[in-house]
Amino acid sequence: MDAVKEALREGRPVALFPDGGQAVLVVEVGRALRVFRLGEGGSFPSLASDFPSLDWFERALWERGYTPVGHPGPKPLRRHDLPYAFREFPELHEVPVGPVHAGIIEPGHFRFSVLGERILHLEIRLGYQHRGLLNRLLGKGPEAALLLAERAGSEPVAHALAFALAWEEALGRKAPPRAQALRLAALELERAFGHLGHLAGLFTDIGYAYGATQVGRVRALLQGEVDRLTGHRYGRNFVRVGGVWREGRPDLAALAAYREELSRLLPRLLKHPQVLDRMRYVGVVRRVEAEAYGFVGPTARASGVARDLRQEDPAYPGFRPVVRQGGDVLSRAQVYAEEALQALDYALGFLAHLPEGPLAQDLPPGDGEAMARVEAGRGEVFWFVRLEGGKVALAEGVDPSFKNWRALELAVRGEGLPDFPLCNKSFDLSYAGTDL
Amino acid sequence: MSLLKTWKIGLLARPLEALLRVPDHAFGYPLLRPEGLTEPVQEDLVGLCPSGAFFREGRTFGLDLARCVGCGRCALAHPEAVGEVKRLEVAVTRREDLVQRVDLERGAFLDPGPPPPPRKELALPTLAFREVSAGDTGLADSEIALLGNPFHDMGRFGFSVVASPRHADALLVTGPVSRNMREALLRTYEAVPEPKGVVAVGNEAISGGLFAGSPEVEGGVDRVVPVDVYVPGDPPRPGAILFGLLLLAGRVRQRLVGGVLR
Repeated sequence: MDAVKEALREGRPVALFPDGGQAVLVVEVGRALRVFRLGEGGSFPSLASDFPSLDWFERALWERGYTPVGHPGPKPLRRHDLPYAFREFPELHEVPVGPVHAGIIEPGHFRFSVLGERILHLEIRLGYQHRGLLNRLLGKGPEAALLLAERAGSEPVAHALAFALAWEEALGRKAPPRAQALRLAALELERAFGHLGHLAGLFTDIGYAYGATQVGRVRALLQGEVDRLTGHRYGRNFVRVGGVWREGRPDLAALAAYREELSRLLPRLLKHPQVLDRMRYVGVVRRVEAEAYGFVGPTARASGVARDLRQEDPAYPGFRPVVRQGGDVLSRAQVYAEEALQALDYALGFLAHLPEGPLAQDLPPGDGEAMARVEAGRGEVFWFVRLEGGKVALAEGVDPSFKNWRALELAVRGEGLPDFPLCNKSFDLSYAGTDL
Repeated sequence: MSLLKTWKIGLLARPLEALLRVPDHAFGYPLLRPEGLTEPVQEDLVGLCPSGAFFREGRTFGLDLARCVGCGRCALAHPEAVGEVKRLEVAVTRREDLVQRVDLERGAFLDPGPPPPPRKELALPTLAFREVSAGDTGLADSEIALLGNPFHDMGRFGFSVVASPRHADALLVTGPVSRNMREALLRTYEAVPEPKGVVAVGNEAISGGLFAGSPEVEGGVDRVVPVDVYVPGDPPRPGAILFGLLLLAGRVRQRLVGGVLR
C-alpha cells in the first residue's frame, strides 16, 4: 500500500478499472506507467480521502458493484437508479441548471450554492449520456469495436487511435509507417479543429461576435480539410486496427494559408480589451489544485503543469508543450490558440513527408492485453483492451474529460453566476466521454 | 480592415443546391443494386458491414440507412451490388422510407407506397428549434450548431435555435435517448407549445444506432415522443439536417421513398 501511495504522491492516476474482483490502478510516475492490482473479491482499500484525483474513479467502480473500503461517501456517477444526495448548505440559495441547457450542448446537471450572485460551491452531476458503451464492447471484433471506441468521446480520431494502438500492442504488431503518419496528421487536425471551436465558443460567450465569426470561419474551412483527409467531417471511419482505411488528399497549400491567417488573427483577438476584461483572472485553477486532482491536457498546462504525452513520442522530436501559469480562462484560451498553430505545423509536417508503403496490415486474431495513451485535444485518452481469440474480453476507456470535470467545480468558486458559461466553455469537456 | 472582413462574411453563404451534395472525396449513402445481389454477395455484405446495416428477411434483402455509418466498405468490396448516392436529400417523414428492400424473386425494390403528406400546421415562414442531446456523442450536436455558421446560414430559411422549449416550434433530438435522459426529453417535449414537431437527427436518434439493444438506452427518439422527420447520417452533414428542417416546414418534397431517391 505504501508503494501505491508513494506513486500517487509523485504522479497521478491514469485509470482505475475492475478486473476479476480486483481494482487495477494505473499511475503515471515521471513519464512511466505503473500498474497496481488492489484488493480482492470485489473490495479494495479506498485512497480517495488522501488523493482526490481518485474520487470519481472509485465512485465509478462502486456503482459497478465494487466496494472502495473507507471511501468518504460514494455517490453514483452514471447510474441514475441509485439515490443521489446533493451536498446541502441551508444558509445558501440553490440554483439548479440542466440537464437540458439553453445552448446546443450535451446534458448535465449543475447545482450551484450561491450567496447573492457569488458561487460558493458547485456540484456537478453527470450520467445523462450513459449508453453502456463499455459493456457493448465485450465480444466485439476489431471493426465493430473500433466504431464504439470512436463514440467514447467527442474526439473520434484520438479515441480510435488509442484503441487501435492498444489492440495492435496486445498482438505485438505495429501499423505501417505511412499509416502512423496519416493517423497523427488526422489527430493534429482534430486538435486544431477542436481548439478553434473552444476559442470561437469563448468569444461567443463574451459577446465578441467578430472574434467568434472569424475563428469560426477558419474552423469551418479546416473541417473541410479533415473531411478531405479522412472522408468524414470529424474523422470517423479513418483509423483501423492495423493502420488506416483510406488516404485522402487534403489541400496542403490551403492548410498553410489557414495557419498563416490564424497566426496573425489569434494573438490580435486575445489582446482585445474586451477579451482581457472578461477572461483575465476569471475561473482560476491553481497549479497545486491541478496537480492534486490530476488534471490533464490544456487544463493542466494552462495552470503551469508542463505535461503532454507528445513529449516522449519519437514522432514529435524536440516537442515543447505549450504552458501558461495563470490558470484562468485567458490562460486556457492562450494555450488553445498556440496549440492550434502548433498542431497545424505538425499536421503539415506529417502530410508533407509521408513515408512510402501500405496503409494497413491485417492482424490475425489472437490473445493478449495492452494499454495505450494518446494526447487528444482535451488531454490524455486512455484505452485498455484484453483480447481473446481476436474479440474483446475486457475493455476500459478513460476520456480526458473524466479527469477534468472537477476543475470546473474549482474554477467557478468565488465567481459570479453569469461567469459560469464562460468558465464551462474554457474547459469544454465531453459529457458523453465521461458517461460512456 | 475588420469592417471589410465582417462584410465579406456575408459572401460565404453557400447556395442550398451546393449544401445538398456530398463532396467528391467522401462516401455518400449506399444504394443496393438488385441485379448484383447474388447469394454469396449477400452473405458477404451481411458479414462485412461493421454496423449491421444489411439484413435478410425470407426472400427480401435489405439495407437500413439508419444503421449505416457511411464507411463505404460495402461499395468498395462489391461495387456490383452496392452503389452510392451523392445527395443529402435523405430526410424522411416515415421510418420505413430509410430502408431499402429488394425482392430477390423479382430482382427489384419493394415500393412501400407514397409517404404521408407533411403536417400543414408547421408550414410556417419561420421555425424556432430547441435542441435536446439525449445520449449523443456530441457530433450531431456540433453539426446542428454549425448550421448557424456563415456557410450554412440556416437563418436565411427562417430557422433559428432558441434557448427555451417554451419558445420553440419543434425539437431537434440527437442520440439514442439514454435511459437517464428519457424523463428530461419527455418534459422538454411537454413544455413545447402546440402545434409542435420533432426531428430525430442522426442514426442513433432514429434507430439507436450502435447502441440499439443496450439496456441503458431507449433505442430511438420515436420510442419516447412522436417523430415527424428522420434525418439519417452518422452524424448527418449539415445539408442533410437542413433538408430535414425544410421537409418539416413543408417546403420541399420528400425524395427518399423505400430507401431510394425518387
